[in-house]
Amino acid sequence: MNGRFLRGGYLADALAQVGAAGLFFFSILGALPKSLRYVRETVRQVWFVGAMSLVIIMTCGLFVGMVLALQLYHTLSIFGGTEALGTVVALSLLRELGPVVTALLFAGRAGTSITAEIGLMRATDQLAAMEMMAVDPIAYVIAPRFLAGVIAMPLLACVFNALGIFGGHLVGVTWLGIDNGTFWGNMTANVDLWDDVVNGVWKSLAFGAVVTLIGVFQGYTTPPTSEGVAYATTRTVVFSSIVVLALDFVLTAFLM
Amino acid sequence: MSDVPMPRPDEPLVRVRGLSTRLGGKVIFDALDLDIPRGSITALMGPSGTGKTTLLKHITGQMRPDAGEVWVDGRNVPELGRDALFALRECIGYLFQNSALLTDFDVFENVAFPLRQHARLPEELVRNIVLTKLQAVGLRGAARLLPSELSGGMARRVALARAIVFDPMLILYDEPFVGLDPIALNQVLKLIRTLNQTLGITSVLVAHELSAVRRVADRVHLLANGKIVAAGAPDELARGESDWTKQFFGGEADGPVPFHYPAGDYARELGFDGGAA
Amino acid sequence: MTQRRSYAVGTGLFIVLGFAALAYLATQTTSVANYRQGDSYAVKARFGNVGQLKLRAPVKIAGVRIGSVASVQLEPEKLDALVTLSIDKRFHEIPDDSSAVIFTSGLLGDQYVGIQPGGSPEMLKDGDELILTQSALQLEDLIGKFLVNGSGDANKKPAPTQGTTKPAGGA
Repeated sequence: MNGRFLRGGYLADALAQVGAAGLFFFSILGALPKSLRYVRETVRQVWFVGAMSLVIIMTCGLFVGMVLALQLYHTLSIFGGTEALGTVVALSLLRELGPVVTALLFAGRAGTSITAEIGLMRATDQLAAMEMMAVDPIAYVIAPRFLAGVIAMPLLACVFNALGIFGGHLVGVTWLGIDNGTFWGNMTANVDLWDDVVNGVWKSLAFGAVVTLIGVFQGYTTPPTSEGVAYATTRTVVFSSIVVLALDFVLTAFLM
Repeated sequence: MSDVPMPRPDEPLVRVRGLSTRLGGKVIFDALDLDIPRGSITALMGPSGTGKTTLLKHITGQMRPDAGEVWVDGRNVPELGRDALFALRECIGYLFQNSALLTDFDVFENVAFPLRQHARLPEELVRNIVLTKLQAVGLRGAARLLPSELSGGMARRVALARAIVFDPMLILYDEPFVGLDPIALNQVLKLIRTLNQTLGITSVLVAHELSAVRRVADRVHLLANGKIVAAGAPDELARGESDWTKQFFGGEADGPVPFHYPAGDYARELGFDGGAA
Repeated sequence: MTQRRSYAVGTGLFIVLGFAALAYLATQTTSVANYRQGDSYAVKARFGNVGQLKLRAPVKIAGVRIGSVASVQLEPEKLDALVTLSIDKRFHEIPDDSSAVIFTSGLLGDQYVGIQPGGSPEMLKDGDELILTQSALQLEDLIGKFLVNGSGDANKKPAPTQGTTKPAGGA
């Protein structure tokens, strides 16, 4: 092991993984036209990937918004700028926390279940059975899940943001007594539809693609054992989190 | 000969020539030749790890060999593109060792799956075909059960119904008898024979159970060391005089397949050599 | 079949909910809704310095929002800032000798345009210009004045942290 590490074997392995995932991405894109036949399957996957993640997304969104309002109120009151609370809560959520936290939760909730499901299909020969029935598993199994992730993620992020702002309002206005009009007025004056709301949607679209790609790739390439599936789900969470945060930095640098 | 594209009725359905495969540095096949005549039930037997399942994968194009030709119904499988391969696979049924039913769907939808994927049939017709096939395997009443609610034997019969839904010319059975109780085993045996006799489906089965194979197979090929070491009718082979057949069918622990995995000198490894004394 | 239908219905609901959330964010957290109020009239005002005044900053009378900043441009000849204010039609009775002042909300808050009503019987119309204006109070200038005692050189910017603590300590 140490020898491998010294020879740079891990780096080479990591690069090979990234390369393989990239190729896999292109084979998904190639299978997309064929998978249009499986609209029903895509719809079903949007349900599993998206709708089933709603509860966790909504709960977390609400609490993140509430905590954000509490913390920022404390900080802003130092500068006597508590009327900016609405603005700061909305901007933090729309630009950063909404897409990023949703992506991390999405990786934990939907990404792992995608990996485990596909990994088990691999382990129980279901993917091979599809191959044998002349059905392309990439078009039938992988592409619909990928599409579903890309569709569901921005919607989840929007729900997260809406609940977060509601939570911020709850704490800021109802509890801490900031004027309702000030809260919203400041927010609407400073939040821009394109720069903030739509950029957040772009971000979450990119995160959705990346997290789902990692999920399906890990599932598809997992060794067909129960151990393999267990490791693959762990890798999905770890890699997704790292890539989401790194990509967030890059996207923020470009979109700002 | 092999470069004639149209298959002739008297030509074997599956014709393997000079097949060589290595997996992870280990030689699996070494210039293997094999013919499987149309309409026959052929059993592939051999010690574990001799690549019987791998051979099935070569026949269906799931794996490409390093060298050699695998002709199935006049087509050389390793040279086929994806579309041609898929077209060929529609005429081949494959029964996986663990049945490989799609866990998302119930029994009915599992059997209907290939139909829905490859043929735009009216729902009425799909229903009739599926129920006919389920009736053939005796599981029409289980149409709405989920795969998780089936016993191993039932799951295998459902998988068989799925494999024959397109009336294939060839069915490959990968260890169809493993883990079945005697009743379920007899049911599967009966199905294999019925399908072969009534529909004329060529069958290839990979199995270890000599008693079961004897009751169903026309021919047995014994695989070892990457080659066919013996072939013939099951009874013939069971009486065979070669070391291979003696060990395999006699079930002896030691023989051409050694009991001991290759290792260094035993005494030396335990430290009982002259130097230490 | 029924199972599939319920997935479709659930998925449909989920997608509707997602888009509803997006619509909520787009209309409630941004000033898109304010554009939509539509009926407004434009009033111009010139400032020597607009400071940090941004597009869509509020325009207020007596602290009540009546419109927003539609554009901030540099007038090349006079080298001053021409600010166009978009004021809601509902507030059409503003005397034309009112003055426009750029205020800062709070110490570090955003800037807005405050209008202080005059006494003229004539009311502002679309395209009118507010003659009396007062530029933004520059924090840097104030600090500069405070530190150097009188010299209002705007180019001379003391470090903001130093600046904010100093006057607070002095006051």
